Amino acid sequence: MTKLLEVKDVVAGYGDGPAILNGASIDVQPGKVHCIIGPNGAGKSTLLKAICGMLKVRQGSVMFKGQNLKGKRPDQVLREGICFVPQERALFPKMTVRENLRMGGFSMTDKATLEKRIDEIEERFPILRERRDQHAGTMSGGQQQTLAMARTMILRPEIVMLDEPSLGLAPKIVQEVFDIMKVMTEDGITVLLVEQNALMGLKHADWGVVLDLGRTLFEGPAKEVLTDPRIQELYLGGQKAA
Amino acid sequence: MSDLIQILILGLALGGVYALMGAGLSLVFGVMRIVNLAHPSLIMLGAYVAYWAFRLYGIDPLIILPVAMVILAATGVILYKLVFEREARSAKYSEMTVLLTFAFAMVFEGALATAFTNTQRVTSPAYATDAIFIADIFIPLGQLYAGIVSLVLIAGLALWLKYTRFGYAIRATTQNREAAELLGVNVNFVGLVSFAIGLALAGAAGALVSFVFSFYPSKHWEWIAILMSLVVLGGMGSILGTVVAAYTLSVVAAYVGFFFGATWSTLTFFVALFVVLLVRPQGLFGEKPELA
Ligand SMILES: Nc1ncnc2c1ncn2[C@@H]1O[C@H](COP(=O)(O)OP(=O)(O)O)[C@@H](O)[C@H]1O
Ligand SMILES: [Mg+2]
Repeated sequence: MTKLLEVKDVVAGYGDGPAILNGASIDVQPGKVHCIIGPNGAGKSTLLKAICGMLKVRQGSVMFKGQNLKGKRPDQVLREGICFVPQERALFPKMTVRENLRMGGFSMTDKATLEKRIDEIEERFPILRERRDQHAGTMSGGQQQTLAMARTMILRPEIVMLDEPSLGLAPKIVQEVFDIMKVMTEDGITVLLVEQNALMGLKHADWGVVLDLGRTLFEGPAKEVLTDPRIQELYLGGQKAA
Repeated sequence: MSDLIQILILGLALGGVYALMGAGLSLVFGVMRIVNLAHPSLIMLGAYVAYWAFRLYGIDPLIILPVAMVILAATGVILYKLVFEREARSAKYSEMTVLLTFAFAMVFEGALATAFTNTQRVTSPAYATDAIFIADIFIPLGQLYAGIVSLVLIAGLALWLKYTRFGYAIRATTQNREAAELLGVNVNFVGLVSFAIGLALAGAAGALVSFVFSFYPSKHWEWIAILMSLVVLGGMGSILGTVVAAYTLSVVAAYVGFFFGATWSTLTFFVALFVVLLVRPQGLFGEKPELA
């Protein structure tokens, strides 16, 4: 299987602080949904931040289509085709929905193309057209998450990384998040998902990665990870897998 | 009746100048989370630029205004590069900048006092002491011009923020720095430009106040108190809020001054601050403070 992104033995942390990631690895295959699971504080968010250039990779490598992303800034990683939707507040609450979409294409130089892509996005997500002139911060949690995810598609990225997109959403709304993820994969976008609810995340993924204490414990096809006894062990006590 | 209208007009004109002073402070706070206590002392620098240009060369303060803006913007770039860019990486950034800008305010005051003494100054172009009558309403031209120029500058800033690509970058950085960076905004450069623009507005405000009020180096403490109350009232970092607060309070202060005497006029700002902090601590346009 060819790899689109290969994260290998990454060591990273915040500022001059201790290493939070200590040997994190993932193989990302094109067009698939990858779900990173692991207990709270395992370093899942930190891993996404290291990939997108918000944190310095101290050791190891992040190979994307044959080149090392290590040392690149977030805007450079973005230009390579990797979008990151951080946990919770990914939007600009006092900008309108349309302005948020425009910000999604901030790195594009061709304004006409940007407006055309925004039109397409509004076509696919009618709620965004309906709410076009409303401040993003005044929408419901589900609508905000729709906007945050739809916004990444403006750049037609190769990889979208989502940090707990279902966090704080009502169970009924959560399904919408996974529906949008499906739309993304139909567009050929590769998804890298962090999900607190391991069962639900793996159910919607092709590939599972288990992270604990900043290391990759193991990875494999989502179905196998889901039934792996080590998962039960990992989540015993603190949280359960569902 | 004409008294009341006249006070409204004067209040609005002065409100414009306060709004201009506060807009720069608010812009810088929004983008960089710096409470720039040196802002009014830099307004003072702008006032001296206008004063000496008029006194030495007879150049009208309204003509020198763009020059004052450029001088102050350049000062902003230097300050940012020397101090704030490096400081931004420190964990104690916010506390540090309060102390730093406080120190700068004192240094600028001292430098101005040394260079120009503590004599009260006022730039006196002909219109500063002239007035027009509309019906029987008396309108001092100096304040009218200052009010109009302020309004034009604030409107220009608002349009620029709303419609240009760089304006989007500034608003995005103010609202969510991390997300802006993730979408390709160079937040450090946005900080630099915002700081320069904030001070350019201080330069413009300085040129305007130079013929509206008499001034001397240590007067900036009076302004910082008023500006702080405007920025807090407006909801820290909301330029619209600051501008609305400036106009509203300036008009109220003008009426208070008319009915109760000038001494009470300034107090309006602080009473309003006190009340708002009790009733709506996030300010008129601010969001609720977040936990952690
Ligand atoms: N901004 C930060 N500065 C310093 N340490 C942090 C920061 N964010 C997270 N950490 C630490 O990194 C570790 C992993 O956090 P995180 O990656 O957010 O875990 P997860 O997303 O798996 O729950 C935790 O111990 C946390 O305390
Ligand atoms: Mg996390």
